Amino acid sequence: MMIKEVLTQLWKDKFARASLIVLGIIYLALFLADFIAPYTKDFSDRTMAYVPPSKVFTIDENGKLSRPYTYNYIREFDEDNLSITYKFDRSKKHYIRFFAKGQPYKFLGLIPSRIHLFTTDKDGRIFLLGTDINGRDVFSRLLFGGRISMTIGFLALFVLFPIGLLYGGISGYFGGKVDMVMMRFAEAVMSIPSFYLLIILASILPSGMTSTQRFLLIVIILALIGWAGFARVVRGMVLSIKNQEYVQAAQSIGASRLRIIVKHILPQTTSFVIVAMTLSIPSYILSESGLSFLGLGIQQPDASWGNMLKEAQEFTNILYRPWLLTPGFLIFVSVLAFNLIGDTIRDVLDPKSKVR
Amino acid sequence: MTRRGFRVLWIILIVAILCKGCLVKDEPQTSQPKKATTNNSINMAYPTPKNITLDGVDYLQSQAPIGNFGGALIASTIGEGPKTFNPFNCKDNISAQLTGVMYDGLLTSDPITGQPIPKLAKSFSISNNGKDYLIKLRKGIKWTDGKPITADDVVFTWNDIIFAGLGDTSTRDSIVIDGQLPTVRKIDNYTVVFSTPKPFAPFIRMLSTPIAPKHIFMPATKKGAEYFDSFLSTNTPPKDFVTSGAFKLKEYVPAQRVVFERNPNYYEINKKDQKLPYLDKLIYLIVGDLNNEVLKFEAKELDVITLQGSKVERYKSLEPHSDFKLYNLGPTTGTMYLSMNLNNRKNDKGQFYVDPIKQKWFQDLNFRKAVDYAIDRKSMVFNIANGIGAPLFTAESLNSIYLNKKLKPYDKDINKSKELLKKSGFYTDKKGRLFDKYGHRVEFNLYTNAGNTEREAIGVMVKQDLEDLGMKVNFKPIEFNSLVNKLVSTFDWDMVIMGLTGSPLEPNGGKNVWLSDGRLHMFNQRTPQDGKQGILPWEKELDEMFTKGALATKFEDRKKYYDRYQEIAYNEKPFIYIYSPVIIVAIRNKFKNIYPSSLSGLTHNIEEIYIGD
Amino acid sequence: METLKYIIKRILQTIPLLIMVSLISFFIIRLSPVDPLAELKLNPSISPVTVEKERQRLGLDKPIIVQYGKWAYSFVRGDLGVTSTGEKVSQKLKERIPNTLLLTSIVILLTWLVGVPLGIIAAVHWKTPFDRILTVLTSIGMAIPSFFFAVLLLLFAVKTGWFPIGGLTSPNFADMNFFHKFLDIAYHLVLPVFVLFTISLAGLQRQMRANMLDVLDSDYVKFARAKGLPEFMVIYKHALRNAINPMITLLGFEFAGLLSGAALTEYVFQYPGLGRLILEAVLKSDINLVMASLMMGAVMLVLGNLIADILLIITDPRIRVKS
Repeated sequence: MMIKEVLTQLWKDKFARASLIVLGIIYLALFLADFIAPYTKDFSDRTMAYVPPSKVFTIDENGKLSRPYTYNYIREFDEDNLSITYKFDRSKKHYIRFFAKGQPYKFLGLIPSRIHLFTTDKDGRIFLLGTDINGRDVFSRLLFGGRISMTIGFLALFVLFPIGLLYGGISGYFGGKVDMVMMRFAEAVMSIPSFYLLIILASILPSGMTSTQRFLLIVIILALIGWAGFARVVRGMVLSIKNQEYVQAAQSIGASRLRIIVKHILPQTTSFVIVAMTLSIPSYILSESGLSFLGLGIQQPDASWGNMLKEAQEFTNILYRPWLLTPGFLIFVSVLAFNLIGDTIRDVLDPKSKVR
Repeated sequence: MTRRGFRVLWIILIVAILCKGCLVKDEPQTSQPKKATTNNSINMAYPTPKNITLDGVDYLQSQAPIGNFGGALIASTIGEGPKTFNPFNCKDNISAQLTGVMYDGLLTSDPITGQPIPKLAKSFSISNNGKDYLIKLRKGIKWTDGKPITADDVVFTWNDIIFAGLGDTSTRDSIVIDGQLPTVRKIDNYTVVFSTPKPFAPFIRMLSTPIAPKHIFMPATKKGAEYFDSFLSTNTPPKDFVTSGAFKLKEYVPAQRVVFERNPNYYEINKKDQKLPYLDKLIYLIVGDLNNEVLKFEAKELDVITLQGSKVERYKSLEPHSDFKLYNLGPTTGTMYLSMNLNNRKNDKGQFYVDPIKQKWFQDLNFRKAVDYAIDRKSMVFNIANGIGAPLFTAESLNSIYLNKKLKPYDKDINKSKELLKKSGFYTDKKGRLFDKYGHRVEFNLYTNAGNTEREAIGVMVKQDLEDLGMKVNFKPIEFNSLVNKLVSTFDWDMVIMGLTGSPLEPNGGKNVWLSDGRLHMFNQRTPQDGKQGILPWEKELDEMFTKGALATKFEDRKKYYDRYQEIAYNEKPFIYIYSPVIIVAIRNKFKNIYPSSLSGLTHNIEEIYIGD
Repeated sequence: METLKYIIKRILQTIPLLIMVSLISFFIIRLSPVDPLAELKLNPSISPVTVEKERQRLGLDKPIIVQYGKWAYSFVRGDLGVTSTGEKVSQKLKERIPNTLLLTSIVILLTWLVGVPLGIIAAVHWKTPFDRILTVLTSIGMAIPSFFFAVLLLLFAVKTGWFPIGGLTSPNFADMNFFHKFLDIAYHLVLPVFVLFTISLAGLQRQMRANMLDVLDSDYVKFARAKGLPEFMVIYKHALRNAINPMITLLGFEFAGLLSGAALTEYVFQYPGLGRLILEAVLKSDINLVMASLMMGAVMLVLGNLIADILLIITDPRIRVKS
């Protein structure tokens, strides 16, 4: 009922609708990444480092309409200018083939397949957004990196919210000394500037972890940062809820304390939780990208939008290889979309919310 | 118009734009004629300054063209800035570089030939037995506070600071010969003699160590080592420094810049007998990273910058119509390499540091050579250094005066790699996976320090090259400190990509790396308890070469030993060298008297540099 | 008298808080497997004797509890130890903290000057397109990754030459007169302030909007309106004061958020602040320095909260009664 109302309201709002559509497209693309991306995330062609985006032609040199095709690039080192030049290898046209067989992959790690949305022949290369220093396709890596960047925030929230809810619930419900100690501890955690804590935690991650382990630990670190503030607000809400009649009724029939907290008190905070969740996803996406940008988050050869942006930090790359900036714009677009949706949800559920 | 009408229009418009976007015409471009660009050749002969005595003062006279006085040069240092301004307490390059501006040493090295030449000393000579170094000092030259620089300062510096082990002890450590230190004696006010217990060629390079003013340092040395460590720190007021270099400290702003101003008491003069330096100020901006440095140069906040890779391309193309000039200083002095862990010992818990299965591979020369031949250095130079670099095959850097030129470079040859592996009984299965003769899958970890884009990119390429041979390589960039810990304390690594800095003038600095009990003998690191346990025949020969090389006195004799050491490294492949980036430096045109040197850089003659009209 | 008592009580409360913060930070850092002497160890010219000397100086050969005790004892005495390169930590902090305070206080001032009015306007025009557009605009600012924004701004500065490339002062700063010095610093602050302002404006504006909505809905505002006071008077005389008070409590947390946001911005702009210091220290695992800057960050935050609380008591007597 409530969800339906929220969705209707979201759809009514122009900005929120646009955001929903944008996020929908992004997540669909990320879900289908294996299929949409012409290459796997580790595919690299070293003779093609830093090549510009492939040009796709539909009218051939004689001015006739043609099936879309592209040329490979050839690199040359220009001794006089000490520069590397890129030229089309016009000796061979590489036609784009749709739903054709390309590199083998396992869809979502499960279903083996070789069909890609688009690809080209065996010797041809199609790089829609150019390549990076190792000759890896930026477009494909954006999709695979997005899977990490766009889920890490959600996962952190799923770790953090139960902790925060329970912690805040127990603290608020029990009150007295327990509340005192628990809140002081939460305040101590909050008193450490979160980004400082974040980089310190990330920097002490043991080396030699697999990328999955690293990913999970970063999720946990992100969660460790956010729970305290959340728990504090929950506790405040619980304090006012616990004196309501039905809670006292539950107490009088002898329900256990944990049961009262989980069954009777916490559900009252649902709308707050939803608002807080949508509004805090962006900050987790940004935190991850910041960490990876500093080299403390997701690491090569794995891709994330943050660590792909690292290359874009270089001045000459921004000037000569602007395609390396695309992860930055994707972060911007998706964070903005989450913000707009969060704003609308908040206005619907809880207009005077104290959640930022 | 209705809303619906608008919507239809929108859709038509979008479809139209999309269609337009899909129609891309293939128009062959006519290739543009190549522009011939001028190449700034760097071999301008540097007129070495000469000694001249005027009014009883032994000046050094610049032989370069006479210039104008005034102005400032703004250079940069990468990192966090200096840690100390005490020249005897520098543990990092930046502090050493900046104190090098403030304090002169007795000798320096010729920017072109690399031979030792006098600086604060007027002249020097080495006795025939190669043990005594007679140093004559300049008469009448002064510290910045006006007190004369005499033999007492020299004797004090060596006896009370260096030999006493105050501050950073690396100078002292490197001149211990058979457990004995050299000695220094004052003959008269302007003459000292250093004596080494045995002929020891590297000692002459140590005479470029700064000389301290006795009247300033004496009270500090008396207060002991702990006080000395904090003496002349970065918070000391600039006016408290008494120095001898061309520039003296004017201001230090933490994390922002170090400003030097000209030392009016400096002992170098120009051909018109005017006191140098020409510049009023020398400013080092403290920039956090290479990228910020480039931005600052681009915004004209910097006058000189070292360029690598794709940045060269940009400034090369801007050069013809801009206010700066590029100079090619040749390959860097550092080396970058891939190494395998040859350790076959056990730790104190009785476990092998390296898995015995892997040990067999790494200790197999054919395996190491196979890896070497599989590495595509040319592509690395192309992709990572943007073409501006040279493949490296020797332990000495390409600009070293001891480089063994007989060791020839070679290309990637994957067939040769496969052959070598086959010879040692490795085989591949149908899927192309490589197994050793006991049937173990060849799989290992490759480490490098995370955050270093260059090494990470090399790692990715090495991984691909080795996987072409059927090996499974787990590439793990890890945090620098953890990596070093693995290399020098826990030894639990398989393969690593690392770099080391070196000196193009003195190979003896590498003894920590090459001696079998050296502290950085990474490829087969021994703990102090291990001693020389399990020494390989070629390690033994390396020990011999380094010991003999240090004790020989003539360049030709030393070269023989160091040639042999490079040959052993070339044959046995403890380190597989990758490439050397070429250093290109840009400096604003307005600065004159620029004599670039591949050994000492662009601003080695900072006191002679002036701003032209 | 009551107020004073409360303030003292409030100050005393911060002590266990700080102890807890220090315990948390210390153990997190010491859990780290990294070796603070690694850089020294890899330097070919440094002998094992020197490395051993360093280890003893840093107390790395003692058990962790002893290390904490040693650290806490000297911290209380104001001695923050030395960095891994031998500099005094207190000196480094002394250099950096004022810069960070300068940056953050300007940003806080600006966000308040802009964010509060924007929040009021949005609340007054609640549910109108105007409100919506304001929210969207501030959201855009919040959505740009700060480091990415900073990199782009630097590029802008290079291209136009209008702004300096990072730092806080010009090379000839020492030779300037007071007025020029002031201008020089202001000139260098423009870009970093702009980045931090853009990313933190949204939060404040939303908060103010929510508070204002809350107040506008309350009985006394309804009463004032019923009395027939002009809307302008209702908003600025009655609603505003009550809506701003809770904002003061947020000052402390806003400060915290800024300290965090500032770290990446300082890093990209090469601003000599605490954030850049701690980043560099973390990357080198310089234990004493990390510990001290972490503590300083926490102390500044706790103090910020404390000041906010005290301000609130002075401005809003109702709280005094409650406590």
